[in-house]
Parts: sequence; structure tokens; C-alpha cells
Amino acid sequence: MDKKKQVILSLRNISQSYVIQNEVKPAVEDVSLDVYDNEFLVVLGPGHCGKTVLMNIIAGIEKPIEGKIFLKGEEILGSDPRIGMVFQSLNLMPWRTVMENVEFGLELAGMGKKKRRAIAQKYIDLVKLSGFENSYPHELSGGMKQRVGIARAYTNNPEILIMDEPFGALDAQTRYAMEEEVLRIWKEEKRTVIFVTNNIEEAVFLADRVILLSNFPAKVKQVYDLSPLVRPRDLMDPEFLRFRTEISDNTDLAL
Amino acid sequence: MEKVMSSNTVSHLSQAEKKQQRLEILYKILPVISVLLLISLWLFASKDYNPKIGSGFPTPAATWERAVKLFTRPVKKMNLIMHALISLRRIGFALAFNWTFGIAFGILIGWYAKPKAFFSPMFDAFRAVPPLAWIPLITLWFGIGEFPKILIVIFGSLASIVVNVRAGLSTVDVMYLNVGSVFNATPMQTLIKIAIPSSLDAIFAGVRTSTSAAWMVVLAAEMLGADSGVGFLISRGMDSIDMPLVLTGMIAIGIVGAILAILTQLAERLICPWTRKSK
Repeated sequence: MDKKKQVILSLRNISQSYVIQNEVKPAVEDVSLDVYDNEFLVVLGPGHCGKTVLMNIIAGIEKPIEGKIFLKGEEILGSDPRIGMVFQSLNLMPWRTVMENVEFGLELAGMGKKKRRAIAQKYIDLVKLSGFENSYPHELSGGMKQRVGIARAYTNNPEILIMDEPFGALDAQTRYAMEEEVLRIWKEEKRTVIFVTNNIEEAVFLADRVILLSNFPAKVKQVYDLSPLVRPRDLMDPEFLRFRTEISDNTDLAL
Repeated sequence: MEKVMSSNTVSHLSQAEKKQQRLEILYKILPVISVLLLISLWLFASKDYNPKIGSGFPTPAATWERAVKLFTRPVKKMNLIMHALISLRRIGFALAFNWTFGIAFGILIGWYAKPKAFFSPMFDAFRAVPPLAWIPLITLWFGIGEFPKILIVIFGSLASIVVNVRAGLSTVDVMYLNVGSVFNATPMQTLIKIAIPSSLDAIFAGVRTSTSAAWMVVLAAEMLGADSGVGFLISRGMDSIDMPLVLTGMIAIGIVGAILAILTQLAERLICPWTRKSK
């Protein structure tokens, strides 16, 4: 238990605000949280509450106005190769094939073609896209595109994987299937996962812990430990439904 | 769609099929009709043609004869194809320059903020001047040789490529750039591996429009003083009241222009296979 609960990433007093039409609007307010090694952490919040802003800050795409981020005890500034990201809007490059998209990070890092292709192939196989290496993104279905996004993030071998509402655009059936896929991949290739969603059922199905954020600006409202729920979880299990209702009653409405 | 229909009634399906077949036949016939219509209009317009004094509109037959005669009795020792090739060579030089310098300049003022602020007003003023307005100055400075003609074509087709490349590079989607920042891309990698590939369709739009612009401008430049090229054939025809020669030149222009358009489209499909979206 103690070994399991090693802190890998800490956010300390992170705040972010923007000037919109001459008004300062806070998007993230004083968020502090710890992420444990190899846990599946779900960040849950109503739509447009500032979740993506918070993730962009962790990934180094944006700089916060205030606050610090520590990775294994040392402060990080900007993007760090130990943190990978699966984007909300897929962000696959339409001019690159599946293989070329997946190997993109290693290519930028300057790795030779043969070596990076072998690594990329391993993760293409892991997300079950073997045979589609030379397809272009527009030839794939929504679920397959998300698999490419996951493989691309994994290929750079990050210690922490951020998944920013990856299944928001998928239909319900594909979404359930992809949730199970993500758990399978997470079990096979253990990483610390920070998974962002606005879907309470998805959060309870996936998470070791749920961080519930309040509506705009994002603040930490409550932390739920879901480790008592055994995996694989059953959406109809009374215990599952109890957690679901409890979180649901505490969630702000996005208006 | 058709499967849904077949579950209703059999006659329904066959009617749908018939409708589909009728439409397919219609789409094959329509282009033929349009060409026949054009030729009959031409025949109608040329019914008063008098080849002796060259009055009226030349008939298709007279135009064809004139085109054939160009091979047996060349103008300035060159047949129709050689004149067309000379015009093509001129736009070839001009486009080679524009596709290197123009694309580089477009990237510079599309991607980098400071050069954009510095060069954009200058460039926008330059492109507002029609290329033909340069002809007097260029003729005065460089005479009427080969170089001034190429220069006019350069001036005439530079703007269209720069404008398209600039538009592409200044509207690169942030989501692609975010991928680069997560993977720690250097500024050079961001430009070469993200910004330029994502603008390739805009760059190709520039290649297409600059090609057709160059083809228009070279003919204008040749009509104003040259002894070779398709534009020269037209002005020679005008000077000697040889209307079949004028029409021959016009048709040659149309055919070469269409071939150029097809070639640039083929090149785009070869180089950007991902734009071949399934319909």
C-alpha cells in the first residue's frame, strides 16, 4: 500500500486566467493535487469547466499564471518528455499515415527510422491496429482514430499519460468498448494515467481515484477513492451505482 | 439506401434502378451534346465566311486547314507545336522562379510575425498592380528579348502563389501545433514537420492558380512584341487578317491550358495522397 502510493506528480496552487473582452476571467483557481505512481486518476468536471486548461498546463502547452508543478520532486517548466497526451480532438495529422502519426514523437526526438518503426509497431499492435499502418486517418473510424492517438502517446514512453476527454466525440457503443480497451492497455503497459471526462459513469468505471472539479473556474471540490470497487466493474452493481449517485449529487451543472 | 428500398417492394427497386440508369446515361450524353452544340454554333456563325477577302468568322474546316498548313509552311520557321513549346518554356522559367522564391517568401510572411508586419503592405501594393502595367517599364529597361517576357510572367504569376502560401501558413490549426509542443518540437521542426505539411493543399492551390495566371500573361506579353510563341501567332494572324490563324492560336491556348490544369491536379494527387478522400 505504501509503495503503491508514491507521489509521482504534484500540482501546487495552480491558477490560470485569461483576459476576455477586457475582463479577467479565471479558468483554473488554486488547484493543488497529488498523482500517485501507476494509478488511474480521473479528473471529472462539468463541460468547459477548465479541465482542458489544467491538462494543457500539465503537458506544458500553456504556462500557468501562478503555481508550480513537480515531477518526482523536481519542478518542471514547459513540456516534459515524461508526460504524454492523448488529445480531445484527436489531432492526428491527416497528411501522415497511422505509422507516421504514431512514430511522430520519436521522429522529432531524432531516433533512426528502423528503431522508431519497431517501437511504433509494438504500440500499434497493442491498440489492435495491425494492418492499418499505411492507412490515412480519414480512412479510419472514430474509435480507430482514438486508438492511433493512444498509440502515439504511448510510443514516446511517457511515465504519465494525460487523456483529455478522448471519447467525447464517440457514440455510446464505441465509447463503452474504448473504455474497456483503455483499461486493458493500461493493465498491459502500466503507466500513470490522468483521464479527463465530464461523464460520471465513465469516471466511476475507470478510476482508482476521482478528482471532482467545480464549474468555471476549476477548483478541486472533492476527491473520491474508488479502490474499494473491484475490477472489472459492473455498471449495474449496487456499490457502483452508490458511488455514481454520490458523485452525481455533488457535481455542478454546466449551464 | 438501396437495401432499405428493396425491403419494400420489388417494383420499387427496379424503378429506382431505372432512374439511376437514366441519370447515368444522361451524364454521359450531356458533354457530347455540349460539344456538338458548340460546333454547330460555330458552323452557324461562320456561314457568311469568305476566305478570299477574309471577311466573317472562319469555318471549322478553314481553321483545321490553317492549323495543318502551319506544319507544312511554318511561321518564322516554326510549326504550331514549336510555338506552343516556346510559350511553355517561358512560363517554365518564370514558374521555376516563382515556385522557389514565391513559396519561400510566402512561408516567410505567412509564418513569421515580424516579416509579415514588415513585408505585407509592400507585397499587397505590388500585387494590386496588374502585370501588364509593368510592360512599358520592363520594355524600356530590358528591350524585347526573352528575359523581359519571362520577367513579365514572373510579375504576373508571383502574387497568386505568395497569397496562397501565406494564407496556408498563417492559418495552421493550433491542435497540430499542440502535438508539436507536447513532443518538444524545435521551432524548425514545427515549421517543417507540422506547418508546411498542413498547408500543402493551400500551397498546391497556389501552384494551380499561378500556372494558369502565367499561361494568360505569357500570351499577353507575346502579343505585344515577339517573334515566337502562341501569342505571336495570334497577333500575326490579326496583322495579316488571317482569322483562321487567330482561331488556331486560340484553340491551341485552350488545349494547352486544359493540359496544364490536368497536370497540376495529377501532381497534387501524387504528392498529397491524403486529400483523395473517399466520397
